[in-house]
Amino acid sequence: MESVSYQRFPKIKIREMKDDYLKFELRETDASMANALRRVMIAEVPTIAIDLVEIEVNSSVLNDEFIAHRLGLIPLTSERAMGMRFSRDCDACDGDGQCEYCSVEFHLRAKCITDQTLDVTSKDLYSSDHAVIPVDFSDPSDANDPFDHTETQRGIIIVKLRRGQELRLRAIARKGIGKDHAKWSPAATVTFMYEPEIHINEDLMETLTLEEKLSWIESSPTKVFDIDKVTQQVVVVDPEAYTYDDEVIKKAEAMGKRGLIDIRAKEDSFIFTVESTGAVKASQLVLNAIEILKQKLDAVRLSDDTVEADDQFGELGVHMRGG
Amino acid sequence: MPLIVMSDSSSLKAPKSIFHPLPLSIANFVSLIRFLFARVSYERDTKIINAASFTVEREDHTIGNILRMQLHRDDNVLFAGYKLPHPLKYKIIVRIHTTSQSSPMQAYNQAINDLDKELDHLKNAFEAELANRPGQY
Repeated sequence: MESVSYQRFPKIKIREMKDDYLKFELRETDASMANALRRVMIAEVPTIAIDLVEIEVNSSVLNDEFIAHRLGLIPLTSERAMGMRFSRDCDACDGDGQCEYCSVEFHLRAKCITDQTLDVTSKDLYSSDHAVIPVDFSDPSDANDPFDHTETQRGIIIVKLRRGQELRLRAIARKGIGKDHAKWSPAATVTFMYEPEIHINEDLMETLTLEEKLSWIESSPTKVFDIDKVTQQVVVVDPEAYTYDDEVIKKAEAMGKRGLIDIRAKEDSFIFTVESTGAVKASQLVLNAIEILKQKLDAVRLSDDTVEADDQFGELGVHMRGG
Repeated sequence: MPLIVMSDSSSLKAPKSIFHPLPLSIANFVSLIRFLFARVSYERDTKIINAASFTVEREDHTIGNILRMQLHRDDNVLFAGYKLPHPLKYKIIVRIHTTSQSSPMQAYNQAINDLDKELDHLKNAFEAELANRPGQY
């Protein structure tokens, strides 16, 4: 019994791309697919984060669990995460999560010996794996002075130490997903909006005076419309600035010009903005999300057992196959 | 939450659990494994012909909603819906009712295959877009 395919062929167009930022258009699919991608990017794409901390010495002002929590929240470069094992189903280390397949070890040793306050940062964490290190947030564009270690070389502050205080610890980082704990989420924000389609009723618009047009344009909280200096016509300058707030529609009605403007959301067209924590590149995050969603779908396929059982005992199955 | 172990680092490892092999036959063992790993169970409706419920363990709106919307595209599907029976229970129930031209199981498999192919296409489209941006990545 061969059935027709209802497959869609979505289109993608990348608008803007940086390491930690991506803006793209997704077309010819529906909101369920866009939302599934968004949900997977936030909660199901794996990253690596510190999960176990063994404190040797801590004479800082912060207590052990406070420091352990702060360490957990530091983003680590996680290109390796997709190929890594979850420590719970790692068979190389009895599931205690301390082998090279499922964990990365970090060491931190810091002691303040001067009167100057010592900042212990993510840069003081030493990794056993050069591919998994705390994310570097220093902007290469303002690293004009290579010898200036004060501004450009800072990491994420973990704790501050005064004279005589010391912090020494060992930390195990593991693979995980945002669903288990937000520290594993690779996404800072992922949003999508429907692309708006804006039609101005030109005939009705021409019945307005210039002052009325200007006050109507002003009624929009975001700059969607403007006036053409030459023709004095109202033009759409940025449809995507529209936040579906209906202010311009209400204003038109208040002016007695119902139907002046028609704004509708295109049901099959989305504009995505993805911001990454730096654990993976934003573009890689999207690709990983697609891969994870594929794996999830594969996992919910019916097992052969179920199909066999239905073939054998389903009265209808026999009936339909002409039995 | 990170687990905190204070200074004495002598034994982080828990004692290895001792495995007691149960007197299971191979067939029993295979079916036990299948039972443990089967994520989907299928239950035919007792009153309506061509209607069934699929219980999908460890899935939520992410899978439920794309599956439902994909099933709606199928002309032979008369009804398709999913529910999350309880917010603390990590499972969904997908209910499908089809015409006699199809069957819930066929529609379910078709929907998954189509979604899988759509994601393949999406991946290729995205990679092609990345390749179109020379010098960047």
